[in-house]
Amino acid sequence: MTVGSKVKQTVASLKGIQATFRIYESQSQNKETKSAFAEAIETTQTVIKDLEERIRVLEFEEPQYKGK
Amino acid sequence: MSEWIVILLRSIVLFFLILIALRFIGKRSITRISPFNFVTYVFIAGITALIAVNIIENWALGIIALGVWVVLTIGLEYIAMKSKWVHDWVNGKETILIKQGKIMEENLAQVRLTGEELLRELRNKNVFNLADVEFAVLETTGELDVFLKSDKKPLTAHDLGHKVAPQAEPQTVILDGNIVTESLANIGLTSQWLTSQLESTGVSLDNVFLGQVDSSGDLYLDLYNDVFPMPQPKVKELLYANLEKIQADLMTYSLSTDDTTVKEMYIKNTEKIRNVMTMMEPYLLR
Repeated sequence: MTVGSKVKQTVASLKGIQATFRIYESQSQNKETKSAFAEAIETTQTVIKDLEERIRVLEFEEPQYKGK
Repeated sequence: MSEWIVILLRSIVLFFLILIALRFIGKRSITRISPFNFVTYVFIAGITALIAVNIIENWALGIIALGVWVVLTIGLEYIAMKSKWVHDWVNGKETILIKQGKIMEENLAQVRLTGEELLRELRNKNVFNLADVEFAVLETTGELDVFLKSDKKPLTAHDLGHKVAPQAEPQTVILDGNIVTESLANIGLTSQWLTSQLESTGVSLDNVFLGQVDSSGDLYLDLYNDVFPMPQPKVKELLYANLEKIQADLMTYSLSTDDTTVKEMYIKNTEKIRNVMTMMEPYLLR
């Protein structure tokens, strides 16, 4: 497995976590809980953005592995 | 009119009369009333019985006596609610028995309690060591309430400096295999949501004896068939474990790259995930 596909895997599971956070955010009735989950979603979003940028660079560097 | 019809009619009328009267008198538990209230209840019960079985032949007189006691009780309680002076006069005042860890012997004698009885009351409250008690007060209902010394009190999350997620009361959404729509609506969920949850656990509704949803929306089920193992909701623990894995992954990437700017990016993001983990820990693990 190349670095590129590993990073892709991490991004995928991070997106899964973000989605679960989103479910909990909309399910909770408490304001404090809601805002805590919203903040977690935001932070994971910035991490996802950074990693996706990195994936683009990696795909450029190892074009033979593109899409894996 | 033959006597049995009289007794039958009187009993039925009094049954509902007393039911209504006691509704007005209030909701207090019978074990927690003051001695005077107890006498009131006994008197009302006694008169009612005497009227019902025709010992008080003139029922109008009986009703008058009954009415006076019921109305006076309600009236006195109403006035006691408005005035502290009347309240203390009617119900008496609570008596402090232990103050700053020292027994007040005069107060003990005043409420006719011996040292042994005081110890028994303390043991009732799970206090076996007198040295643990900072303050104890005998309520007007005869119950002893104990305030422990601060180092003997049960530990709370606040004492440990732990943040815990706020939790509302759980709602019972399934009772005896029936969906309780009212409590579902209380937490803003629909019966469609519930059926899809049941489908994903693979349980049919008529197999469920009790189902509760906690404030974060996790469903706990108890089935009629106890042989069938019921998986507990573990989504949050899994979520936290996944975050841990991602943090470790990012750390590995940062170690395996030579490019310093990329390394920095990975380290920064590792830090971010760590922050998310500490922030979400009370919500996911506690």
